This record gives sequence, structure tokens and C-alpha cells, in this order.
Amino acid sequence: MLRSHSYVRVAVTLAAISLIAASCGGDDADITLYSGRSDNLIQPIIDEFEAASGLSVEVKYGDSADLALLIDEEGEAGKTAADVFLSQSPGSMGFLEERGRLGAVPEPTLALVPDHVRDDGGSWVGFSGRQRVLVYNTDAVDPADLPSSVFDMTDPQWKGRIGIAPGNGSFQDFVTAMRATQGDDVTLEFLKALNANDPVLYANNSAIVAAVGRGEVDTGLTNHYYNYRALAENPNQPSTNHVFGPDDPGAVLIITGAAILAGSDNAKLAAQLIDFLLGSSGQQYFATETFEYPLAIGESPANNVPPINFSSDVSNAGGIAFEDLAGGLEATRALIAESGLES
Amino acid sequence: MVDFPLDVAEPTPTGGRLQRRVTSGGKRTSWVTPSRLLGLLIGAVFAGPAGFVVWRTIRLGGDLANVAKEVPGPLWRTVQLSVLVSVSAAIIGTALAWLVTRTDLRGRRFWRIALVLPLVLPSFVGAAAFIAGLAPNGIIHHALSTVGITPPRRFRGLSAAWLMLTTFTYPYVYLPVAARLIALHTSLEESARLLGLSSTATFFKVILPQLRPAVFGGGLLVFLYTLSEFGAVQLLGFDTLTRVIFATRQSNRALSFASATVVLVLALAVVALERSQRGTSRPDDRSTAVVRRSRLGWGQAPALAGCSLVLLVGLVIPVTSLATWAQRGIAEGRVSIRDLVQPAISTASVAVIAAVLAVAVVMPVALATTRRPHRSSDIAAVSVIVGFAIPGLVIALALTVLTLNTPVVKGLYQTSALLIIAYVIHFGSQALASTESAVRSVPHALRESGRLLEPSLIRRFFHVDFPLMRPGLVAAGGLVMLSTLKELPATLLLSPIGFSTLTTEIWASYEEGFYASTGLASLVLIAVSATLTWFLILRRSEVVRG
Repeated sequence: MLRSHSYVRVAVTLAAISLIAASCGGDDADITLYSGRSDNLIQPIIDEFEAASGLSVEVKYGDSADLALLIDEEGEAGKTAADVFLSQSPGSMGFLEERGRLGAVPEPTLALVPDHVRDDGGSWVGFSGRQRVLVYNTDAVDPADLPSSVFDMTDPQWKGRIGIAPGNGSFQDFVTAMRATQGDDVTLEFLKALNANDPVLYANNSAIVAAVGRGEVDTGLTNHYYNYRALAENPNQPSTNHVFGPDDPGAVLIITGAAILAGSDNAKLAAQLIDFLLGSSGQQYFATETFEYPLAIGESPANNVPPINFSSDVSNAGGIAFEDLAGGLEATRALIAESGLES
Repeated sequence: MVDFPLDVAEPTPTGGRLQRRVTSGGKRTSWVTPSRLLGLLIGAVFAGPAGFVVWRTIRLGGDLANVAKEVPGPLWRTVQLSVLVSVSAAIIGTALAWLVTRTDLRGRRFWRIALVLPLVLPSFVGAAAFIAGLAPNGIIHHALSTVGITPPRRFRGLSAAWLMLTTFTYPYVYLPVAARLIALHTSLEESARLLGLSSTATFFKVILPQLRPAVFGGGLLVFLYTLSEFGAVQLLGFDTLTRVIFATRQSNRALSFASATVVLVLALAVVALERSQRGTSRPDDRSTAVVRRSRLGWGQAPALAGCSLVLLVGLVIPVTSLATWAQRGIAEGRVSIRDLVQPAISTASVAVIAAVLAVAVVMPVALATTRRPHRSSDIAAVSVIVGFAIPGLVIALALTVLTLNTPVVKGLYQTSALLIIAYVIHFGSQALASTESAVRSVPHALRESGRLLEPSLIRRFFHVDFPLMRPGLVAAGGLVMLSTLKELPATLLLSPIGFSTLTTEIWASYEEGFYASTGLASLVLIAVSATLTWFLILRRSEVVRG
């Protein structure tokens, strides 16, 4: 029988070998991608791109905000490693734009999407969209009672019946959208009233949808696709989405964007990757696998997802231009804190 | 502390005393000796991230009025939580250690191992599993409803964070205290009992004072862990300073770094306080006599209930919750364990290497603090310990900036080598205390004889010291390994491209709401941790065998 220190020796040797083996693979790919979206949701389409283009792509996954910080530090040191950045959070894209880390997306690529879902200055382009909705438990809520504005969720009839995730990025994006369209005073008023209505607080969107599905809370403010995803895992879950009326900040469209980094020496290949994401197979992948809204002109969402008309008139669709959401996140956080929701 | 496997030759009490007398004059001697310079160099490497935090805070400047407005609330919550968690972990850890080593508790061999296990759960996974368990249809909800208790509607805030962090950190106290109890001479206790003290009185008047360094050392680790913890406090909605650091890392970098500086200052203050209060630990002089175990008598049932409750909260409930998620996914063929093999190997590899490296790196510091105490060794030790209090995110950013801007080491950026360095800096403190007690366990007399017979310092180290220290060093490495297996924020930032670990898999699937994958990856992580700990650490340790 091996003695314990022999185990240690064997383990260390094995560990060293497997690390060396791991670090030998996959250097010097054609394109380096930093993805704020996790590999479950993006790697399959990257694999498809590699097969179709013959190019190799290496991907670093992480939280959008963390990756943005990394890109900023790399840029500061003049050693940008990434060519393309995919951001789940408008705030992270805005941060990099402000720091001058984004290069230009070529005109033909920008032209693939409607004006409203790309940067005016041409430094990023949206490739998929998430709409803010109210998810509700169909056993507990009569659809006829559901209001057409998120402002009505402060009504006493919803006391203790609404789940929110105030610390979550997309809730903050929604509040930023409200600030952009309604002003800070109205927004603070709303947040205070919401807090007074005894909401149930959750860590993130999926926790809200799961809680609504279990009947722990009757309704919840979340992104539209979480419920489709939950239904794909458990089709019997009694939950469905309610979309607030047009123009309502509660129905804002949050865009997942792609950018080419200023320090990239592969800008051409980088644009090729973004074009692929905006092509039919890319867009349909997001529509059917992640239940998001495809943004390229002429693409439609998955069968069970109600189409929205964001491309012709943003305000009618309750959509909000990306740049209004970007930046100002600290002020949003401060408002949320002031309302008492986050303590 | 954490000196649990102490199957080593016992140093004679005289040896220890002599050693202290000889070295006590050392404080006044020169700073410029090879070993002191080495110690300071190691200290400087560990102090790198702390230096970065201070430098960045100054450079970003920022609005002091804003800091004065935003920091006090979270600071107060951080202090509250850290004090509550470390005190309760100290009490629970010490009580459990006493029960399994010094009483006739039924099934104590089982409890000895089982009570270590909550340490293998990352606290954010534990908290997530608990939240799910408390929801309607969750297992805790079911259980509570069955016995007629209304389950709480919200599981968040101070009390939730306190419960969760205590549950997953008390082993930091339990392990060293159990080891100390095993190593402790029982003659004093026997005299106390003969003189008519009850077993409770004996515990408080005779045993507890001798455990002080172990309790304090373990309690300090718990305190620093709580300071830098992010995942669980985030999930449980308790707004500590670490949460401010994360929430503002992009939107208000000045505030983020100012908060990190506050955490750093708080950690330094607590480390200094602990070092002045812990008292000196006497050499471990193990009794050869049979340990006299206190009879629990009527206390047997409550003691068993207490142990069961701790294990229920710390292991059974979270694992059952995770298993429910995983089992649903496996049944529907949506998740497969095959996808997790590569992450599991990567995780285990970096963890084992980080553990060995951490022990090797803190060894010179431990040798200096125990054999040649000097102000320089204190400085080195403090900078090693403070590394644990700096959140992983900040350590990762610091190493990113340092490597990107230093031409000699820029090749390290996004390599597993840099990731391992981050782990060593973050978790070196966990190795330091055990390494110190391993060094202390080499009898002075043996070292004297070695000096006469073997002139080469290096050969002497490997032939005399090292074999005697080995069990303690294995324990030291064990804690680093376990912490590395669970680490997330630094791993996410510093991993080489294409390198995924079990924690990054858990995080990604949880963020996206793929609970089945979260459950499965968490169970694999627990299994890998438990297996490695058993084979590499526990199997031969006295906590299990004694």
C-alpha cells in the first residue's frame, strides 16, 4: 500500500504533467474573443464559425464587468490580447467606450442591424436582445389583473407578491432606462413605492423565475428568456411572461453587443466573426437556443416568443437605445440604495 | 494552528524553553542576513497586491466625501458579520473538537471525519443550495412544514449570512483545536479532576487556556475569510465592503479601491491584535498515557443532537439540494458527467501544485518566525496573512497589472503559472500557521545532534527536519488545496484561455439558470475535494486515527 507521502508525490507529478499538457494546446488562434456570455450559450455558434470560416477562435469567458476591467488594463499597458468583446451588460460596453478601448465596427457590419440597436459612433453593434418582462405564476394570477405599466406594480394588490433582483445587472439596466425616459425623481419615487410594497428579493433572474414557478412568489421582474429556458427544463412549470405596454420602461429591450477592440491587430477577421453572429445561422442560434430576440434585419424570434417591433420605432416597442443605458450606472446604484431596496 | 496530524516525535519541554531563551536576544540583531532577506523578499511578493491596492487608491484619488458617505454602512456590516462569524465559529469549532477528542461521545470516530466535511463546500454554493432548499418545494421547506414550523419567507441579511458563513468556516477552528487537544498533555487535567473540579470546570479553567493559540489562529482565518467573501454575501443580500468593491469595480473605481484599502486596514488591525493576544504556544508534548475521556452521561443525547445539527446544515441539506438539481438533469439526459472530467482534472492539478508551492514558499517565513524571531520575520508573516483578506478579484487585478507592466514577467500573463501564484498569495496564510507548528514540532535536542553530525544546512533540513515536519506540512498544504479548489473570482479573471475549472463551470451555469449543471458540477467538486483530502491529508492524520 502506498504511504501518504507517496500519494502526494504521485499527485504532484500527475498535476504537473496535466498542466503542462493543458498549457501546450491552443496558442495563437486567429481571433481572440473575450465573452461576457458563458460558454453554454456561445461556444456552439463559435464552433460553427470555425468550421465555416476555417479560422480558429480562442475564447476567454467571464463576467462582462470583469472582462471589461481586464481589457482596460491590457489597453492601459498597450498589450491588448483580445480582438472581439461580447458584452452582456450595456454598462461594460459603455465603460470601455468611455475609456477609449473600442475600435470601429466596419460600416457593412453596422448596416446589418437597424439604427436603434447599434452605437451612433459605430464602436459597437447589437447582436441579440433581451426584453424586460413580468413573469407570473398562472395558478396564482389572473392575466386580466395584470397592468400595462410597471409603475402599477406599486399598487397594494401586489403587496408581497412581486419578486425582484435589485443587485442584478439587468434590473439596474431597467432602472437606468427608467431614469433616461422618466427622470431621476420619478424613478426614485417608483423604487421607494416598490420597496414599500414588500417585494421579495432574489439574487438573480433565474432565481426569480424558479421562485415564480414554484409558487413562492406570484410575479417577478425579469428578462423574457429566463422563463422560456425554465420551461425548456420543466415544461409543466406554471409560469408565463407578461409584457408591459409600449413605451413602458418595464418593457425595455437590453442589447447584447459586440465590439472590436482598439488594440486588435486582427480587426478584419474580428469583423468576420461579428458578421457571422449577425448572419442567419448566428441569429437563429440566439433565437432558438437562448430564446433571445435576433437583431439583424429580417430575422424573427423563436416560435413561442412574441415578436416585437423594435426595428421600426424604438419607443413604440418600449426599447431604449443602448447608449442611454450605458454609463450612469453608479447613479442608478445610488438611487436603488437610496430607495432602501438594497439594504 | 491547523497542526492536526502531529504524529511526530515530541520535543522536550526543556528544548522549547531553551530555544526561546537562546532566540530572545535575536530581536536586536542585524536585518541583513541571508535568511532575513529571503523572508523579506517573500513578504514583499505577498505584499504586492496590498501595495497595488494602496497605489491605485491614491492614483485614482476620488471623492473623499463620497467615500465617507458610502463606506461606513458597509464597513459596519462587515465588522458585525466578521466578528459574529468568527466568534461563533470559534465556539462551535472548539466545542466539537472537545467532544470528539476528549469525551465518550458515541461514534466519535465517524464524527471526527464527518465534521471536517463542510469545509469542502464553496460558501456561495452552500448558500445557493440553502436558498433553494428553503423555497416552497425545497427540502428544508418540506421538513419544516412537516413538523409544523412556518419556513421563513426570506433567507437573507445578517442572520442568513451569519448562519451560512459560520457553517462553512468553523472547520478552520475545529481542525487546529482538535489537533491541539490530541497533542496536549493530560496530566494537568488529571490533577484538576483529582482535585475535584468538574469536567466542565476543568475544560474552562485548565484546557481552554492551553488551546488559546489554536482557537485564535483558527478564528483569525475565519475572520479574514469573512472579510474577503463575496459569493455568499451577494446571494444573501448582505451589503458588506466586498460587495461594494464588486458592485462599483467598473462604475466607480475610486470607491471600489478605497473600499479595498479599508478592508486591508481592517485586516492589518485584526492580524496585529491577534498576534498580540494569542499568547505563545508551548511545544506539543504529547502524553503517552491513555487519554481520560469525560463521561457525557445525560449530555450524550444533546451532544449527539448538536453534532447532527451541524452536519445537517453544513453538509446534508446542501448536498441533498444539489443532488436534486443534478438528478433531474441527468434523468432528462441534459447534463453529463463527461463534460466535467477536464475541468475536474484542471481544478485538481492547480490545487495540488498551489498547495505544494504555498508550503514551500512560506517555509522560510515559518522557520524565521519560530526559530529566529525578528521584526523582519514579523513583517513577512503579517504580509503573508493579510493576503487572505484581499478579495480574489483584487488580487487578480493586481497581478494582471503587475505582470502586464513588468517586462521580465509579462510572459506570465494568462498562464496557469500566474493563476497558481495568485492562489499562493491568497491562501499562503492558511499554510503559514500549520507550517509554523510543524517547524516547532522538531525537538531542539534532535536539531543539536544534527548540527554535530551533518554540517550541510540543506542536507540537515532534508534529513532531520523535513521528515519530522512532514505531517504538519501535509496539513498546511491540505488547507491551501481545499481553498484553491473552491476559489472563483481570481480563477475567472486569471485563467488561461480555454482553461475551465469546476468553480467556473458552477458559476457559469448558475448565472444562466442551468441548475442541473450547477448541481452536478458542485457534487463533482465536493467529491474531488473529499477524495483528495482523504488520500493526501486525512488518512494518516491523528484527527482520524488518534
